Amino acid sequence: MTQIETLGILEEIQALVSDKLQVVSYKWLSRHFLVSSNVAKRLLAEFVEKHGSGLEVVYSLSGWLKNSPSNYHIQLVSRHKLSEAKQEYDGNCRADVYSVQVCIPEDPAAIWNTEFLQAEELFKRPAPVDNCLRDNRFCGISASFVKRNVDGTTARVAAAQPDSAGTSGPSKQNSSQTNAALPSQQNKVLQSSSKVAQHTPIMVKDVKSDGIREVHNLAVKPSTDKKKTTSLPSNKNKDQNGKSSTGNEGSLATLWGRACTKPKSSSVPEVGCDSIQNFNGTADAQICAREAVEDENSDLDAYEVNFRRASYGEGNKKRRVVFDFSDEDENEDAVNLASPDPPERKSLLGSEQDSKTLVPERPNSIVDKPNKDEVNIKEETMTDGEPNISLREETSLVSKRTNGRNSVVKLESQLPDTAPNKMDEVTDAAPNSPKRRKVIKTHIDDHGGEVNEVVWEGEETEVKKVENHMPKKVGSGTTNAEANTVTNTTNRPSAPQRSPAVGSTAPSNPGGKAGNKKAGNAKDPKQGNILSFFKKA
Amino acid sequence: MEVDSQEQLQRKQSTYLSLDENFEIQKEVYRGQQYSQIYFARLHMMRTLLYSLVPNWKSHLPVCTVLELEEGKECIIVGTLYKHMKLKPCILDEYSKERSVAPLIKPHNFMHQDDYLVLEDESGRVKLGGTKLSPSVYVTGVVVALHGKETSAGAFFVEDVLEAGLPPQIERPLKSREDKYVVFVSGLSIGSSSSNPLQFQLLVDHITGHLGDEEEQGLAAEIVHLVIVGNSVEISHGLLNGQNLASKDQSRLSEPFKELDILLTQIAASLPLDIMPGSSDPANFALPQQPLNRCLFPGSATYNTFRSCTNPHCFELDSIRFLGTSGQNIDDLTKYSEAKDKLDFLERTLRWRHLAPTAPNTLGCYPFTDRDPFLIDSCPDVYFVGNQEKYETRLLKGLEGQLVRLICIPRFCETGVAVVLNMRNLECHALTFGTQISS
Repeated sequence: MTQIETLGILEEIQALVSDKLQVVSYKWLSRHFLVSSNVAKRLLAEFVEKHGSGLEVVYSLSGWLKNSPSNYHIQLVSRHKLSEAKQEYDGNCRADVYSVQVCIPEDPAAIWNTEFLQAEELFKRPAPVDNCLRDNRFCGISASFVKRNVDGTTARVAAAQPDSAGTSGPSKQNSSQTNAALPSQQNKVLQSSSKVAQHTPIMVKDVKSDGIREVHNLAVKPSTDKKKTTSLPSNKNKDQNGKSSTGNEGSLATLWGRACTKPKSSSVPEVGCDSIQNFNGTADAQICAREAVEDENSDLDAYEVNFRRASYGEGNKKRRVVFDFSDEDENEDAVNLASPDPPERKSLLGSEQDSKTLVPERPNSIVDKPNKDEVNIKEETMTDGEPNISLREETSLVSKRTNGRNSVVKLESQLPDTAPNKMDEVTDAAPNSPKRRKVIKTHIDDHGGEVNEVVWEGEETEVKKVENHMPKKVGSGTTNAEANTVTNTTNRPSAPQRSPAVGSTAPSNPGGKAGNKKAGNAKDPKQGNILSFFKKA
Repeated sequence: MEVDSQEQLQRKQSTYLSLDENFEIQKEVYRGQQYSQIYFARLHMMRTLLYSLVPNWKSHLPVCTVLELEEGKECIIVGTLYKHMKLKPCILDEYSKERSVAPLIKPHNFMHQDDYLVLEDESGRVKLGGTKLSPSVYVTGVVVALHGKETSAGAFFVEDVLEAGLPPQIERPLKSREDKYVVFVSGLSIGSSSSNPLQFQLLVDHITGHLGDEEEQGLAAEIVHLVIVGNSVEISHGLLNGQNLASKDQSRLSEPFKELDILLTQIAASLPLDIMPGSSDPANFALPQQPLNRCLFPGSATYNTFRSCTNPHCFELDSIRFLGTSGQNIDDLTKYSEAKDKLDFLERTLRWRHLAPTAPNTLGCYPFTDRDPFLIDSCPDVYFVGNQEKYETRLLKGLEGQLVRLICIPRFCETGVAVVLNMRNLECHALTFGTQISS
C-alpha cells in the first residue's frame, strides 16, 4: 500500500471517528477499504500512533491464561486496562487494535453494531454476487474447498479475488435466475431468457395431463408445501424449467405467499411457464433456486407467484418428482374446505388436449380395472355439457368398482360431456365464480346413516357425498386408500369419493347440483359399514 | 484491492462422515402406535446383549423371566427398570379434586427417598429391594440384569447388578501426527436479551482467521470443524403464545434468524460447520430432533460446508467418532436422578448403552415401531452434551481399552466459553471470550 493511500485512509478514519462519531473496527475498515484484516489492523495501529491521543482504543488481547492453563482467552480491553489485563496471561499474549472510537459505549455490543450493519448490507446483496462477506476473502486463512451453491451451480468461494460479478456467473446454463441489474451479467440474462423463451412454447402447450396418473398437483395446499420442503435437503438440482427472466428475486415469502397467486395472464407469455405449481421437479428446483437467492427483498412485484399453470406435466417431461404420499390413507377422509384458487388461465390450450388424453384413458381405466382399485378422480358435474364450461367447472370423476352399479355406465356417458373439463384442474380448481365456497353439511339420510356433504355455495353446487355406508365392500376403506394413492390426481387429499356418491350425483348432474343427496344410494344397505366408525364425520 | 504480501495460511481439512441416518425420521406417521413398541425393541436388543454377557459374569446361575421367579431361588433376571417416583408430576394431579399441600412450584429434581425401582419384562414386573440398587442412580428405561432372589414379600432382593457396560470401540488408526481442532459451541441464544453478539462475533473472527496475528491465525487454521450444539436462537415467548402477530412483531420473529444466518455465512465461508437443533430451536420437540430446515438459513445453506444435523448427532471426522446431544437427555436425567456432576450422567448413559433412557417416559420421543435409535452400538471417541452450566471434561477409560473423551459444553450466551478438542490426542481446552471492556 502506498504511502499516499495509507495517509488518505488514515484521514478518512479520522473524519469518521471524530466527526461522525462512528466506531471504526478493523473488520469494518477491511471491508470498507477492501483490504485484508491484517492490513486493516496495521492501519489502525498507525492511526492510533498518529492521531489516537484523544480517542478511546479497544484492543483485542489473546493468549493462554496463567491461572487456568488450558484456557485460551480472547478479550477486549480498553487502552488503560491493557497492561493490567496482560498480567493475567502467561507468557506472550498478543494485542491488536480492535477498534477506535470517541468513547466506549456502555453496552459493548454497540461496538459491534456498525460492523454488523455493514455485514448485513453485504449479506443482502443479490445471491449470485460474491462479496467479501460471502467468501471471507480478507481473513488470514484461505480455504479452497469451500464452495457456494448459487442457483444450482457451484461457484468456488475464492479468497483474495476481486469483488466482481464474474466469479459468480459461471455455468448458468440452466438457470435463468439472473439479476438484470448487474451489467456484467447482462449477457447471461439474455442467454437465459432466450432459453426461457424457447421453453415457453413447449411448456405452455404441454399441458398434457397425464391426468389420472399424475400423482400430485403441488400447486396449492399447505400440506404439499411441507412435502416440498422435505425433499429440499436432498435436492440442489438445477432449475431446469427456467425462471422468470425478470430478475427473479424470489423471496421465500413467495413460497408461502399463496395470497399472491393472482393470475397474471399478461406476464405468462413473456415469463414463460414458471410456475410454482409444477409437478416435475420444478417445485424443487424453484425452491432450491430460491434458497440460493438471498432473501432479497420481497420484490414480489418482479416475481409473481402466479404461475399457476393449470396443468400438470408441463415443461419438463423428463423429470418427474414423486412425492411420498404415504399419509394419504389418513388424509383421504379429509375434506378440503378451503376455497379453491381461482382458475388461472385454464389452459384453454390444454383443454382440448386434455380431453383427448382424458377420454381414451378413462374408459380404459374403467374398463380395464373393473376389479381393481377405484380410479379416483373427482368429477364435478357441469350444468351443461359445453366444453367451454371447462373454464368454470371442475372435474371430479369418481369411478368405482363395478359391483353391478350403473354408475359406471353413467360415468361413461358423462365422459364426453365432462371430457373437456379441465383434467388439469382435477382438484377443486374453482370455477370462475369466486364467490363459491365449500361448505360441509351434515344430515341423516333415509337409512339412518350420517351423510356429510360438501356443497358449493354459490352458482353451482357440487355434491360430494362422504357416505358412510359402503355395503358390499368391507374392505373398501383400504382399497379406496390404495386407489387414492395410485390414482389420486387431486392435489389435495381428497375426500373419499364414495361410489354411491358418484352414482348418486351422476344422474342428477345434468339437473344441476342443487344439493340432491338422495339420488341414488341405490345400494345402501340398512346397515352401516363398520369402517364408517373411523371416518371423519 | 490489496492482497497480503505474505503467504496465506491454508486451512486444514478432514474427512467427514455423517452417521445420522439412524436419527432421521423419514416418514413421520402417527397411526396410533404406542410407546410399547419402542420399549420392546429396546428390551429385545439389550436383553440379547445381556444374555451374552451373563455367562462371563455369573455363569452358574440360571436366567429366568419375571414370571418364572420362585421364592428363594437365586437367579438372574433381565428387564427394564421402572422407577416409581412420588414427586413425579402426573397429569392426573391436575384433575384431582383435593389440592394437596404440595408446593405449586415444580422442584428441579423429583427425587424422593421413598422412590423404589421395579423390574419389568414382557411377562411381568417385580418390585426390587435390597441396597445394591440405588434408586437415586437409576431411571426408568434402563435395561439391566439382576442377580438375586425373590423374597417372601414378593419382592426381588437384589444382590448384584450387571449393566451392559461400555460398548466396544472401533480401533482408531493413530495416523494423525498433526494437530487438528474441532470447536464446540452451544447455547448461542441469539435473540435473547442475555446474548452478547460481540462475543459471538469475536468467536467467529477468531475461527475464521481475522483476529490476532499470524501465530494466532496459524492456530485458527488448524481448526477443521465447528459444531453448534443446539439452542442457537431464542424467540421470546411472548411472541409464541398462539395469538396472531401484529406485523411489527413478525419481524421480531425472524430477526434472530437473520442475524444467525449472517454470522453463519461468515463461518461457512471458511470452514465446515454442523448445526444441531436444541430445545429452544424451531425444530420438533420430540427426540430425535430433525435437522433445522435449510430455509431458515438462506444465506449460509448455499455453502457446501454448511450442514444441518439431527439431535442427537453422530459423525466421524478422520475416523474419529463423535456422538452428542443438545442436552435434553442429560437434563432429564438430572431431574430424575442424581450424580456428582454432569459427566457422571454422561458416563452412565454410556454404560447403559442408551443415549436417553428416560425417553419416552419423561422425555419426548417419536414412537418408533421397529427400533430404538438411541441405543449405542459402538463406543464413540468423543461424547459431548451441550447447553450445560459449565465446561467440564473427562477422559473415560473402559474395561476393554475404550477411551472416550466426555465433554460438557456450556451455554455460550451465559459463559462465553467454547470448547476446543484436539483430534490428535483427544485433549480439550476452553476458548473463552471477554467483552467487559471498561471494567
